[in-house]
Amino acid sequence: MTEPAPSHSMRFAVAGAALLAIAGGAAFYFASQANQGSKQEAGDFYEVTVTAKACEPNALTVPAGKRSFRILNSSDRPVEWEILDGVMVVEERENIAPGFKSTMTARLVPGEYEITCGLLSNPRGTLTVTPSEEAETASGPSLRALLGPLSEYKVYVALQSAEMVAGAEALAAAIDEGDLEKAQALYVPARLPYKRLEQLAYRFADLENAIDPVADYLEKREADAAFTGYHRIEYGLFQEQSLEGLAPVADKLVADVTTLKDRLRSMKPSTAMLTDSGATIAEQLAHGRIEAGENRYAHTDLDDIAANVEGIRKTTDVLKPVLEPHAPQVAAEIDAALQQVTAELDALKTQDGFVSYDEVDAKTREKLSQSFQSLAAALQKLTDAIQVSS
Amino acid sequence: MHAWKALSVAALAFAIGVGSANAKQEDITLELVEPLADYKIYVAENTKQLVKDTTAFVAAIKDGDVEKAKSLFGPTRTSYEKIEPIAELFSDLDVSIDARADDYEKAEQDPDFTGFHKIEYVLWEKDTTDGLDEIADKLLADVTDLDKRINDLTFPPEKVVGGAAVLMEEVAATKISGEEDRYSHTDLWDFDANFAGSKKIFILVKPLIVEDDPEFVAKVEENFGDVDETLAKYKTDDGFVSYEELTDEDRTVLSARVNTLAEDLSTLRGKLGLD
Repeated sequence: MTEPAPSHSMRFAVAGAALLAIAGGAAFYFASQANQGSKQEAGDFYEVTVTAKACEPNALTVPAGKRSFRILNSSDRPVEWEILDGVMVVEERENIAPGFKSTMTARLVPGEYEITCGLLSNPRGTLTVTPSEEAETASGPSLRALLGPLSEYKVYVALQSAEMVAGAEALAAAIDEGDLEKAQALYVPARLPYKRLEQLAYRFADLENAIDPVADYLEKREADAAFTGYHRIEYGLFQEQSLEGLAPVADKLVADVTTLKDRLRSMKPSTAMLTDSGATIAEQLAHGRIEAGENRYAHTDLDDIAANVEGIRKTTDVLKPVLEPHAPQVAAEIDAALQQVTAELDALKTQDGFVSYDEVDAKTREKLSQSFQSLAAALQKLTDAIQVSS
Repeated sequence: MHAWKALSVAALAFAIGVGSANAKQEDITLELVEPLADYKIYVAENTKQLVKDTTAFVAAIKDGDVEKAKSLFGPTRTSYEKIEPIAELFSDLDVSIDARADDYEKAEQDPDFTGFHKIEYVLWEKDTTDGLDEIADKLLADVTDLDKRINDLTFPPEKVVGGAAVLMEEVAATKISGEEDRYSHTDLWDFDANFAGSKKIFILVKPLIVEDDPEFVAKVEENFGDVDETLAKYKTDDGFVSYEELTDEDRTVLSARVNTLAEDLSTLRGKLGLD
């Protein structure tokens, strides 16, 4: 193999270096980088040299935990050094100039990793991280480990909230236009984001009573002035087959879900948001809701339940990387319970959705209730499994 | 002890920490959740835009419209450059989307050289779109894949907070020289996006540090302000002038500011307990 032609790249590297030197701050910058390294004992570093062709050594073994590396670029062009887990970068140090050293610290968990060594065509090296006592002493996940999952859930809540408001607005618009058929078609899609968020939303009792009351709980049932929200619209669209009187109800729904969106946004993040809310909604489903049904007029309960499951699954999905290392059995139990309810719901699917809930017999409902009870039981173990260690 | 108890203790520790001069730097706080979530939404909006803009860019290439493709090159890249700290976590895509010729043994002639800079090379150095169809299709497939992967990714908090400095370090080390967009000289588009991406992270975490460290915040803001002012001189109706028109004086200003920003912002992780 021939040496890489020192054409463009070197000219630019040299030009780059010259420009950096002109900018006085740059030299200081590199110096300060180097200083950061020298504060620690030399023995604390794993030394790696990147040559024109490979890393030396090309295979590293280190114990799990926070580990520091010192990388010397002995090739004639700027290089980067990366630790890769599959295609994902665990940690990297970029733009190490020829002849320069750079240091890098990574928190490593046991496993096999690859390291990159200069040119993309150069063979990669390996990094083996072995289990260590130090990494195992922490009993529960750290608060830090929960930042990612909580943020991810917060994003989900924000996106579903936006969808909930947009859905209500579209439904209100169809009602305003006097288009019954369109409004009927928009009812379920408008409601699903609310059901995905229900595990958090139900805590706001005032809003829940305005957004999601069922007629059975109201003195005058459908004729009650407090009969508002989704089910009031459902009643008009599917029972009375009329848009009469629905426009103000729909406008109120838009206002209420917008308030809900704002409240969800300002909810203080807590681990309970992830560990407790799923179990609560699974319990509610298991204790009565599945048996009785809620959508008395449209019979779209299975869509609702499937959306509840999506909401629950989001919390367990984001928690998985934290849960699995600390409580693998709980993770497996939740997985199995989720698979069970999903399988039972899938069995009730038709080509374009779910069967009408009035066609779901008592025995099937009872079985589904039991499966949600098992899911609730599995989810209740989350709070204890995710004990935050200080 | 129940988890919520541990959390309320942590929350209390935070409440005490704020405003006191000797707050422990390693305190981790759930207050970070909000900025992290907002940052993910920012990144997701940018990758969505990237897919949209790349679709138009690729269409221009496949239409053989060299001038249009050239005019779309700079703006299309901006949504990638804003979110580079996250985008480059996917090493395979970072290579296929944004690698430079220097990363390859045979430089521009290397058959593996793909992505934005390969297209840039052919558009400007060869003044043609000939032979770019496949590379353009691959670019669109790659940014679409990136959009999906980013949506599925739980962002590592230290990468988000560290990203503010990473962007500035990259500008300082390998961009201020003009080597990134060496064929098109659209570097000012990239810079502007890199600064915007870095500033976004800073602004999002600012509420968590401003009480403890008002001087630090003021200094960083002043440096970002200087950068904005300098770049504003080179703005045109639809973007930026060629990087070759940047005066030596302004290059020195940018270079100095970017180095200070890189250095200052590199302390953000520590300030937020994420080292």
